[in-house]
Amino acid sequence: MVVGEVAVETDVVVIGGGPGGYAAAIRLGQLGKSVVLIEKEVLGGVCLNRGCIPSKALIHTAGEYHKLSSLTKLGIQLPTGKTTFHMPSWQTWKSSVVAQLNKGVDYLCQANGVTVVKGTATFLSSDRIGVETGGDFETYKFKQAIIATGSRPFIPSFLKTDGEYILDSTDMLALDDVPETLAIIGGGYIGMELGMAFAKLGSQVTVIEATERILPQTAAHLSSEVLKQAKQLGMTVKTATKVEKAEVANGRVTLACTSEKNGFESVIAHKTLVTIGRVPNTGELGLAQAGVEVDERGYIPVTSIGSTNRAHIYAIGDVTPGPALAHRATKQGIVAAEVIAGLPSSVDSPFVPYVIFTEPQIAGVGMTREEAELQGYKVKVAAFPYRANGRALAMDEGEGFAEVIVDQDSHLLLGMHVVGADASNLIGEGVLALELAARVEDVALTMHPHPTLSEVWLEAAEAVLGHAIHIVNKSKVAVNQ
Amino acid sequence: MVEFKLPDVGEGMHEGEIVKVLVRTGESVQQDQPLLEVQTDKVNAELSAPVTGIIRDIFISEGETVEVGTTLLVIDAGTEAKKEETKLPEKVVNPDKTVNFAPARADHRRSLATPYVRQLAREMKLDIELVTGTGAAGRVTEEDLRQFANRLQKSVPAKFPTSATGNERLLEASTVEVETEPVVQPKTGTTTRATTSSQGDIERLPLKGIRKKIAEHMVKSVTIIPHVTSVDELEMDQLRALREKLKPYAEKRNIKLTFLPFFIKALVIALKEFPTLNASIDEHTNEILLKRFYHIGIATDTPEGLIVPVIKDADHKSIFQLAEEIDQLARLARKGKLTMEHITGGTFTVSNVGPIGGLQATPIINHPEVAIISLHKMEKRWVVREDEGVIRWMMNLSLSFDHRLIDGVTAVRFTNRIKELLEDPNLLFAEMV
Ligand SMILES: Cc1cc2nc3c(=O)[nH]c(=O)nc-3n(C[C@H](O)[C@H](O)[C@H](O)COP(=O)(O)OP(=O)(O)OC[C@H]3O[C@@H](n4cnc5c(N)ncnc54)[C@H](O)[C@@H]3O)c2cc1C
Repeated sequence: MVVGEVAVETDVVVIGGGPGGYAAAIRLGQLGKSVVLIEKEVLGGVCLNRGCIPSKALIHTAGEYHKLSSLTKLGIQLPTGKTTFHMPSWQTWKSSVVAQLNKGVDYLCQANGVTVVKGTATFLSSDRIGVETGGDFETYKFKQAIIATGSRPFIPSFLKTDGEYILDSTDMLALDDVPETLAIIGGGYIGMELGMAFAKLGSQVTVIEATERILPQTAAHLSSEVLKQAKQLGMTVKTATKVEKAEVANGRVTLACTSEKNGFESVIAHKTLVTIGRVPNTGELGLAQAGVEVDERGYIPVTSIGSTNRAHIYAIGDVTPGPALAHRATKQGIVAAEVIAGLPSSVDSPFVPYVIFTEPQIAGVGMTREEAELQGYKVKVAAFPYRANGRALAMDEGEGFAEVIVDQDSHLLLGMHVVGADASNLIGEGVLALELAARVEDVALTMHPHPTLSEVWLEAAEAVLGHAIHIVNKSKVAVNQ
Repeated sequence: MVEFKLPDVGEGMHEGEIVKVLVRTGESVQQDQPLLEVQTDKVNAELSAPVTGIIRDIFISEGETVEVGTTLLVIDAGTEAKKEETKLPEKVVNPDKTVNFAPARADHRRSLATPYVRQLAREMKLDIELVTGTGAAGRVTEEDLRQFANRLQKSVPAKFPTSATGNERLLEASTVEVETEPVVQPKTGTTTRATTSSQGDIERLPLKGIRKKIAEHMVKSVTIIPHVTSVDELEMDQLRALREKLKPYAEKRNIKLTFLPFFIKALVIALKEFPTLNASIDEHTNEILLKRFYHIGIATDTPEGLIVPVIKDADHKSIFQLAEEIDQLARLARKGKLTMEHITGGTFTVSNVGPIGGLQATPIINHPEVAIISLHKMEKRWVVREDEGVIRWMMNLSLSFDHRLIDGVTAVRFTNRIKELLEDPNLLFAEMV
């Protein structure tokens, strides 16, 4: 590799080694392109190092710990004495999980001929990129580039995070002990996921959300199941409440809040987590030098093949407008790579599933009832409760339901949503059904294994048709059917 | 709603290739804002918005050839797109709200098909939204795609996908870019761009754009015109000396002085004396049109292929003016920025392949013109002068002429005259008007 003024030539430069960037780089390697993947920190991005994976490791741990208290009901006698949670040991375990995945990504990059460069990249022009690698500066000349620099937490100016008292999600996942009291600003999915996990581990959690309800991205009747559980876990949830100020004194954070209902109030906690959204990492990239445009909020608008206003420069993942989700980043990355290699790929599906690892989990794909009606559909909706599912009861997981939204005329599936145990895994069937343009009969007529949670889909589909077996159907089947 | 159709941007053109789509659906546009770039008979023309409004639908894709009168896009006039919230929230509101998990776009009319069938449609370059599905609940099946493709092939092929979704529009654009790269196997493995023959790999590229136009034009020229080519050689020493002398003056005025302006000057003088060479034949009325204006086309090599910008009224322009204009036109040509105005109306064409090499050629006449001259490589050759072998700067020229109108004798006399004027460039000044 040449250093200095001489630019190293490559087909494609990928900036950012998150789930979008590394997937793109690997796919490009598979398709025979020369690829340089530039990452300033560690491969895997937010998702692997401080997002999806670490948070789910914590949530899993908190779930296991919390379950212990209900085991006696199942006849399991625990030794007397209080079970404790040792967070430093958890950190060690989490790090090993992350490290194993990092190694995997690194190995896959190598195996596919991807050159990984550690450093911070900036565009010098529309076909050259400079990389600062700890003292050195290298230049790369590319035919195509993929921007996959992801996003970072949005922190408003009056809430400066300090890593000790006022924390972002990254700081929170790096803690070495469980805070006695925890205030969370923002009741979105990250706030609720982490809030519930810490509540299960013993924190006194208060969630402060500016809008009318927690998880405003999901349908109200789904998020209300989570709210129920939050209360059972002893959490305080303040909705329609705004934080105006934060002050740190005597090892505590005091948040000044206002709401229409309660007027002024303050919330005091040992630590405060700020999760009110994320902003794209596009500011320092030298995009102007490359002629790449961003919108007012700093996102890079892209087409369905991921190309920016400069046809040879692509952008994927959290830097593009749309839900900031790892699987969307990966899909966009693969499509961009394939388009660059001349394949006719496209992100042409409106079906981006979501999963929320709260208690209970929520997952869904396609439209909610409200959205479908807004679009002018006449819909039929049916839900099947977990408590009528044998497996759910046998797992002591009776909370939640699966819901199917169907176009009344064609019986086409428009949306599938589930709140309850293992919702995140169950939604796989929903995504596939919607992608395959299935009708509700297709799900109803498919034999689902028993006893499993997957039967909730079968029964919800049958309920739409008026002949679910395990609940009383609201709409009775006509006699001749 | 205003339907924006492909207008006739050049004299009597009947189709154009969409080179670039500059707007997206949902975008708001101002009147006169450029919307598309079309390539017609060798020029790129920018089409701009007739009204202010929002782009509702785009029916064409880049790289597609469409006929005059085809609806290209629909503009919702009178409305302007709402600007999105611009500022980052200063207070603690939840930006997550704006990032809903639900599908962002209305999938109302999305046709029903499995992901595999969608991918197949992209590979076959079909707009799946146009295909009627025969599967359950109107699903588009693999078989539907094939039938649709067959029907299209049987009807007007130029109209192939007349409407395309944004995806395909871009898909086209991206394939154009990578066309010359090694062929990769499509995902579904059902269609392939490469054919393997016993001689090895053959890459198939579409004959389109300027190359297609050139091909059509050439066929027309040679099928209509009985070509005859005569070749002669010129001694260039005096012209070289003159050019060297004039160069510093040209440089002072920032003019790049080549040999071409001198040739054009000599040509124009000769054309005035041999009017049948600056003529055309009207095949419909069986008339000969003698032109009393001298618009000289100069064949220019561009990345897209050969383009012939025209120097209008060359007889009224000085050598320096000609030099300047040649430089300008060549630059525009290479950037693909020539307009219809620049390339039409020529009466005679010069092709200058000298800088590249070659001894002689059969230049093909630029129909409806009746002759073309081609200048070849200038080199030192042994020649006999006054019974002695001497070294001189020599250059060949090839003149192709339309034998329907011009006899061999006329053609040779014409070349002799040019030869005379260039071998002793003082004569150029004597003839100057
Ligand atoms: C706590 C938390 C939980 C989450 N849970 C989920 C979940 O359950 N499911 C889900 O789908 N999503 C989840 N997400 C979101 C998910 O992590 C992101 O959507 C995903 O990581 C985006 O991938 P990306 O490739 O676009 O960017 P990122 O993962 O952000 O990667 C970008 C990379 O680019 C690098 N980089 C940035 N600038 C430069 C530069 N100039 N030069 C070189 N390198 C640079 C960064 O170091 C980073 O590694 C979660 C996020 C958080 C914070």
